[in-house]
Amino acid sequence: MNELPILTIITLLPLVSGIVVAGLGEHRKLARGLALTSSFLSLALVLGLWRSFDGNSGLLQFVEGPHAWIPTLGVQYYLGVDGLGLLMVLLTALVVPMSLLASGRVADRPHVYYGLVLFLQAGLVGTFTALNFFHWFIFWELSLIPAFFLVRLWGGAARAAAATQFFVYTMVGSIAMLLAFLAIFLATSEPGQPGVFDFITLADMARSGTLEQLLPAKLGWIDLTARKLLLVVFGGALLGFAVKVPMMPFHTWLPAAYSEASSPVTMLLTGVMSKMGVYGFVRILLPIFPQHINWMLTPLLWLAVITIVFSACAAFAQRDLKRMLAYSSINHLGYCLLAVFAVAKFTNAPQFATEKAAALNGVFLQMFNHGLTAAALFWFVALIEQRSGGLRGLNDFGGLRKVAPIFCGLMGIALFSSLGLPGLNGFVGEFLIFKGVFPLAPWAAAFSVIGLLVTAIFILTILQRVFNGPLNEKWSKFPDLTLGEIALLIIPIALMFVLGLYPRLVLDVINATAVQMVEQLKF
Amino acid sequence: MNVGLEHYLVVSALLFALGLLGVITRRNLLVLYMSLELMLNSANLALVSFSRFNDNLNGQVMVFFIITVAAAEVAVGLALIVALYRKRQTAHVEDLTSMKL
Amino acid sequence: MNVSYLELLKLAAPETIVVLTALAALVVDLTSTRDLEARFRFIINGMIACAGCVAAIVWMLVMPAHANALEGMFVVDPLTQVVKIALLGLTLFTVLISMDSTFTEHIGEYLALILLAAVGMMFLVSAEDILMIFISLELTSLSLYILAAFNKRDVNSAEAALKYFLFGGMAAAFTLFGLSLLYGLSGATNLGQIAAALEDKGLDPLLIVAMVMIVLGFGFKVAAVPFHLWAPDAYQGAPTPSAAFIASGSKVASFFIFAKVMMIGFTGGETNGVHEIAGSAAWQQFVSGWTPVVAVVAVLSMLLGNLVAIVQSSVKRLIAYSAIAHAGYMLIGVMAHSGEAVASLVYYAVTYGLTTIGAFGVVAVVEARSKDDQLASFAGLSRRAPVVSLCMMIFMLSLAGIPPLAGFFGKFYVFAAALKTGAPNLGLLWLVILAIAMSAVSFYYYLQVLKQIYVADMPAGAEELRVPVLGQVVLGLIAVGVILLGCAPNLLVGVLQASIKAAGL
Repeated sequence: MNELPILTIITLLPLVSGIVVAGLGEHRKLARGLALTSSFLSLALVLGLWRSFDGNSGLLQFVEGPHAWIPTLGVQYYLGVDGLGLLMVLLTALVVPMSLLASGRVADRPHVYYGLVLFLQAGLVGTFTALNFFHWFIFWELSLIPAFFLVRLWGGAARAAAATQFFVYTMVGSIAMLLAFLAIFLATSEPGQPGVFDFITLADMARSGTLEQLLPAKLGWIDLTARKLLLVVFGGALLGFAVKVPMMPFHTWLPAAYSEASSPVTMLLTGVMSKMGVYGFVRILLPIFPQHINWMLTPLLWLAVITIVFSACAAFAQRDLKRMLAYSSINHLGYCLLAVFAVAKFTNAPQFATEKAAALNGVFLQMFNHGLTAAALFWFVALIEQRSGGLRGLNDFGGLRKVAPIFCGLMGIALFSSLGLPGLNGFVGEFLIFKGVFPLAPWAAAFSVIGLLVTAIFILTILQRVFNGPLNEKWSKFPDLTLGEIALLIIPIALMFVLGLYPRLVLDVINATAVQMVEQLKF
Repeated sequence: MNVGLEHYLVVSALLFALGLLGVITRRNLLVLYMSLELMLNSANLALVSFSRFNDNLNGQVMVFFIITVAAAEVAVGLALIVALYRKRQTAHVEDLTSMKL
Repeated sequence: MNVSYLELLKLAAPETIVVLTALAALVVDLTSTRDLEARFRFIINGMIACAGCVAAIVWMLVMPAHANALEGMFVVDPLTQVVKIALLGLTLFTVLISMDSTFTEHIGEYLALILLAAVGMMFLVSAEDILMIFISLELTSLSLYILAAFNKRDVNSAEAALKYFLFGGMAAAFTLFGLSLLYGLSGATNLGQIAAALEDKGLDPLLIVAMVMIVLGFGFKVAAVPFHLWAPDAYQGAPTPSAAFIASGSKVASFFIFAKVMMIGFTGGETNGVHEIAGSAAWQQFVSGWTPVVAVVAVLSMLLGNLVAIVQSSVKRLIAYSAIAHAGYMLIGVMAHSGEAVASLVYYAVTYGLTTIGAFGVVAVVEARSKDDQLASFAGLSRRAPVVSLCMMIFMLSLAGIPPLAGFFGKFYVFAAALKTGAPNLGLLWLVILAIAMSAVSFYYYLQVLKQIYVADMPAGAEELRVPVLGQVVLGLIAVGVILLGCAPNLLVGVLQASIKAAGL
């Protein structure tokens, strides 16, 4: 394997340019220019990757390694992407330049800001490409540190508390996950041979049932039965991801973090970082712990339903645009969780393969679409904040449609995409998810529809209160989008249409992966 | 009465306890040093008696070294007292309070 | 017993080189550089000291040896050589970060004492005989007491040294008494022979006393609760480079010998998978022995160190309390007493030492300009000295255990080793969970330092800090080392494991 280590390059590029940018000192324009160049270069590289990716295969591609890294602990340098990984890398490469473009007004230590954003990008790409737990965990945590500082240093008035809360929640989840994988590592280690951290091998072991036997045999702990022990280990891993997504009741850090962070940072948080959690569910929990999800299916499904419905209702009750969108993010990712859990149902019955593949395809699409749409929406909010001097209350505006028609038109499209209007990208993912989940878990799916309805209501409320109605005189001089802004914003909007009308663009890449995952779920 | 190992050990333990008590309760640094010496020497006594009853000389050899080390320790300690006295005109532990939480 | 003195000298060549360097630094400072400016004297003599350390390191790299001289008095094997090289590396960095300081005129003496302390540590690492252990411990301690008192202009310095001395003297007495009882019980001074003699005796009451006293003595050296009282004062009052050396080199050597004494001397016969003398600290399955004692000490250290560190306003005190907490984590590695655990322990101690020297180096830079080490003096440092601030961020994050820095891997490795030893019952899991929870707490106070540096506003009128190029380069090197050891831990772990296998632990 002497090909170019393209995934390593994509991971290292933002890291190196981050170091350069942060090291430059306070040259605002230079830092911004370099950061943008780096992010567009990444985008170009990823698009190249996308072109040469073989969509007919659900296998890992562009694999690097496994090279020994820390042999004594079974840690390997092992990279590779399948359709899902590639899609997430693409999403990262798309959202980062969007966020950078939106953060033109950073005045306070811009070099540190841009450096941190690039570090975050490196952490994200690393997370989406690593195939060894230890390696993956390093990047998982690495992305947390810049995110913490981005919220902490450039956020709103209550940013300190929000950042701390964000950090503590995620940290607790990470620690639980680390312990769970340490247990697996110890269970799989033989005398003279380190344990297994490698996701692929672990998934194989889970499929063959070896893991099931090894855990209780090696770690029979006090008076815990085998089943309980397995559930404890599973619970640890689950907690780590549930906090990140977040799944209710572990979501309380999110509204504070999203609303206190400056909008460009929130674009990154919601656009990509929240996907890390869902990605973890699909890449790690589903293949390694399918049986445990199955055991806990009913409570998990209902937690997903609760997440969907309650977050929609909570969004409806908010009066701050950012908090509304934050809750709506929880809501959208709730559908993903619903589908992931539903897929683990009937693990031995082959007849639902099509539905499951549809649901997983829906999950992948939803992750990408939500990333794109949410990032665009927070971009619009950033623009509103710039124009209004920081105001973003639902009732602070009114009748903006009359003074800023283009602005309202474009943001309206993004809002409708978030609502799931057919023809726009938001629809496709949700449609596939429901198509898959209904036969698998009809009741849960039925209750989740309430979430769709409430989402529609609160999004229409935003449209009504902010854009329509009598013009608030205060904003009679509300400037419309400039040509430059239109030129930039039109790209994500166009993407929304393209993906909504022609989802095969993405489906061609991910379908094989989804089918393969469903196939491997049988055991 | 035969004097056995246990008698030596009891004396040595008593000396150690006395030394420890001195370190804990006394306030004058010089007295503290003497108590520290007492603790070291109680160990010496134990070593010598063990050496005698174990029938090998290792313990006695060790004692020679320990006596030397103890002398060095006192030398360093006295130097520290002098350094402190120059700054504070005191040799009492109650006055070691310039750094507190 | 035939001793070839030439062979012995060859085995002890690295130590000899360092002693000669110490003498050379003394002589050169007293004769040829006497009339120069203090700064140049520091640079010239510092370079001599560094050259000595490097020469000793090179010697060990070029001439690997494996020998046991004088029945365990002086053991040279790959493992001790690795630890010695690490110790010399830490010494080297200590010398380098002190080159910029102005607290003393007696530069030759200062450097000579650092080197002598290093020699003590090197002998300590090589000792497998209680006599050598005691003497090298004392050599190290006595040198460190003086180093702590070296700032004669500062009242706190003498006070710090006195406190360090008093607690240290007491601990030495405890250790010695424990060792003498051990000698009495076994009739031997060599650790291996002691272990052999104790093998079938079980837990003698006298042995328990000896054990507790030895744990107490070493507990002082590594600053574990409840023998930690000297640490905050000593760290705060001592000149910063001395404190750095006390916190790093002395800790590495002490932990290594602690683990060695416990592992070789106190294992005892095995029944039901539990070593009789070691006992077990597994949850709900305590078996008396030394591990439960160490477990209690570890728990107290982690709790007290982390919780008290939160309220500190002096950065050096903060690092001192965090050092107590780190001692608690490392004690978990001691408790695991397996070959793997020793590897993890040495890795942890070495990377911790490196990071701490770096952190103290940054403190020294700030202290030199603002005359104190209060948290407030660090306010806005990122604007005044960006490179130094970046280094401090790396050190603090590494101490907090954030991947991919060395501190994270150290913790990970120690905990994994501890859990492995406790298998199949994961007996030490309770300790590991506590340790992880506490290290999450520790993140809070490390962040306080970073918050001052990166968030707080500069005090009015503060100008850019001129940091000497050498200082920046050294700190940068340490930071790179911390990152490198974190990203590619196998650089050190591989060597350690190979040498442990070769040493047969």
